[in-house]
Amino acid sequence: MGTGVVVGVLFAAIAYYLLKNSVLTYTDKVADPLSPHDNNIVLLGTMFAWSIGFMVGIGAFIGPWRWLIGKDLTDEEILYMAGDGQGIKRYFKYCTDHKVVGIQYLVGVMTLLGVGGTMAMMIRTNLARPGGHFVTATVYNSLVGLHGITMIIAMIIVATGPFGNYIMPIMIGAYDMAFPRLNALSWWVLFTAIPVLCSAWFLGGIPTGWTAYAPLSVQAGAGMNAFLATIIIFAVSTAVAGMNITTTVVAMRTKGMKWNRVPIFVIGSTISVALAIPAFPTFMVAMIMTSLDRTFNTGFFDANMGGSGWLYANLFWIMGHPEVYVILIPGVAALMEIAPVFVRKPLFSYNAAIMGFAGIAGLSILVWAHHMYMAGWAPSLNGAFMVTTEMISIPTGLLFLVLIGTLWRGKPWMKLPMLSVFAFIWDFLIGGITGIYLSDVPADGYLHGSMFVTAHFHFTLMGAALTGAIGGLAYWYPKMTGRMLNERAGYISFWLVQIGFNVLFFGMFMAGAEGQPRRVMDYAAMYKTSNLISTMGAYSVGIGMIILLWAVIHSWRHGKVAPMNPWGAKTLEWTVPYPVPLTNFDELPIITSDPYGYGKGK
Amino acid sequence: MADHSNEVLAPTPGERLTNFFKRKDVSRTTVLFFLWTILFILLGLFFYPKWMPTIMSKEMKSAESIMIWFTVISAPIAGIVLAIATNSFMNMHRGDTPPEDGPAIRTHGPIVAIWTIGSLVFALVAIAWGLIEINSQAVAAASDAKSAITVEVTGSQWLWTFNYPAQGIETHDLNLPVGVPVIFDVKSADVNHSFWPVQLGVKVDANAQVTTVIHTTPTKIGAIDVKCAELCGLYHAYMETNGEVMSPADFNAWVVAQGGHTA
Repeated sequence: MGTGVVVGVLFAAIAYYLLKNSVLTYTDKVADPLSPHDNNIVLLGTMFAWSIGFMVGIGAFIGPWRWLIGKDLTDEEILYMAGDGQGIKRYFKYCTDHKVVGIQYLVGVMTLLGVGGTMAMMIRTNLARPGGHFVTATVYNSLVGLHGITMIIAMIIVATGPFGNYIMPIMIGAYDMAFPRLNALSWWVLFTAIPVLCSAWFLGGIPTGWTAYAPLSVQAGAGMNAFLATIIIFAVSTAVAGMNITTTVVAMRTKGMKWNRVPIFVIGSTISVALAIPAFPTFMVAMIMTSLDRTFNTGFFDANMGGSGWLYANLFWIMGHPEVYVILIPGVAALMEIAPVFVRKPLFSYNAAIMGFAGIAGLSILVWAHHMYMAGWAPSLNGAFMVTTEMISIPTGLLFLVLIGTLWRGKPWMKLPMLSVFAFIWDFLIGGITGIYLSDVPADGYLHGSMFVTAHFHFTLMGAALTGAIGGLAYWYPKMTGRMLNERAGYISFWLVQIGFNVLFFGMFMAGAEGQPRRVMDYAAMYKTSNLISTMGAYSVGIGMIILLWAVIHSWRHGKVAPMNPWGAKTLEWTVPYPVPLTNFDELPIITSDPYGYGKGK
Repeated sequence: MADHSNEVLAPTPGERLTNFFKRKDVSRTTVLFFLWTILFILLGLFFYPKWMPTIMSKEMKSAESIMIWFTVISAPIAGIVLAIATNSFMNMHRGDTPPEDGPAIRTHGPIVAIWTIGSLVFALVAIAWGLIEINSQAVAAASDAKSAITVEVTGSQWLWTFNYPAQGIETHDLNLPVGVPVIFDVKSADVNHSFWPVQLGVKVDANAQVTTVIHTTPTKIGAIDVKCAELCGLYHAYMETNGEVMSPADFNAWVVAQGGHTA
């Protein structure tokens, strides 16, 4: 990592020097020594150079380079790259072991959630009372946008990053991922995006929110470059990770693991990343086009030059709606993995679960313009998009059926992971019902762009998906760290977070129904009660999350040592010891049934 | 010869149903179902009318109706889900060892089918409701077009400007006569904004170089708030203004006072 940083900074410095002093400038130097366009070229070039330089320095291209010169890696070198016997050092290098990548993702996700959460606290503090000026307008708008994008990135990787990498290959009985080097590549490319995103603060912030609508994004200052570069780099990382996870599940399942015996978390994660593969490139394209508008004045999104802001909005939401299901599905799938273990019953209707996921994934690519009902873009299409959007309630209903069917007539073992199942059911139900009003065009005429929308999508993304991921963390923590997560701290955190969360977004539903627009730094006195309720809820969430963070860090070193299979589960990851051997299994297991064979009777 | 003396008669469907509801978990779930359903119906009927501002147009009325009545029709579905979850939660097993295994229910064809058809019907109701509403608004807009007044709305960072071409006035307050259909022709002088006269329940984005249109008819005299519902940069929060729906006589007097002429 050290070499990576050094080479990355070196590349960045060289790019900065070259771009600033000579090449690629097209404006009249005498009249305008450094126009915003030139500045954007310099900054974007520097950021990409950092990313590429870091990857060179950390050794990402050693493999391809050796291929090129006709000397493939030797077995010892491959073992060295997998971090064999290197202790804690392997977490800081280009390590191909999927378990190391899983832990790297886990730490990365927690860092991003911590940063994004802190920004959320600052937003709510500013909104605690009308006329509050805890931060300035520029900082406030940057907080809104950077909170949004930080959380979106964190949530996209929150389950498929740590658990998809660490647990999933063991679950399907594989020695490693299909492409171990690409696995390391996906994490470290993502890592290089984090300092780029942070640099937005030092370049004046972003005024656009995470949606980065043009032409506001074209008009925006230097900080916008950090946003654009982050998304472009992140899109590379997700494409690589998505192909890798999909290939692994298709090609590396152990003997006997037919499609109808694959654990549901694996199915959910695969559908999620497979949905991301076609969706995210449009986001990348939109960011590249915005960059071109900002550097070479191409005018793709500038109506005064014959472009269209609606083009941007379409590209953005063609990614944006599948993306929320990319976030949601792995969280739900983790809870579907957890519920049968703690209720000691088979998963209710495995096929309905798969149809639910597949139905959501299929429909989600046809609903994007419901974000644009009020854009004036194509009012005659509103009816059609309303039809596809409402149809999503059918596969979503199946997900509820699978969970309540699994609960029915069972005695749930009340442990932390199981609590998340109950919290999920409540939160996702509220998120779902409020989503039905929003999808109906006439109601959206009032609610669009209001706090109501913000509350709705936090119920689905945070209440449902993050709750699912926290359940997954509590469930797989013993396998990933060898220790049990501190239960008492876990319970306290769970209730503080869940109660605080519901209070917080109850207040926000109220503010939205009363007519408060979203993304405002100030509001009229009539909204003060609802906003105060929200802020109080937010502090409870914040305290709860700090306690959870403490528990995760503390238990990692000092927790009770976990037995091999603390929950008595039947999936393969619980058949391997901790620390998990480099190749997971001495001999690959043979599967004869699905992992849900609980229950008396049959 | 087989001995029939000890044979137990199979229960009739009616008896099976009665026995089913006599089971403790079923009866408890049923009670919980009614409690949750009633709670959701009350939430819908109580909170939204209480929270939402004065209804001053048909569009606003229809937005509110959707929020209330969709809550009411989803209440039974929420009721089933939450009743089963609550019942399960109340059955919890504590301790450091897992509970005994439950019954091995893998799936239940009829239940899955009924549930799927139920959600389909629910989705179709929501879709039909929305389509009928969209259609009736479009029909009303077409028939009202002749008698409508036009207001040209321009959003700019961070100000709303209203131009009344027939009256020949330009203002920053949105005043409208009650009962007269109004057409808003909306555009932007710079980035995207979204024109939102809150109490009228309609909204449309303001874009540069193109005009977007919305229709409504104010039905009640009173104050309206105009806000921007699309993040438009630094002072987005302060891009708001006031207006009033007034009697036609008051409106004409206001137009004249602004230096315009009545049509």
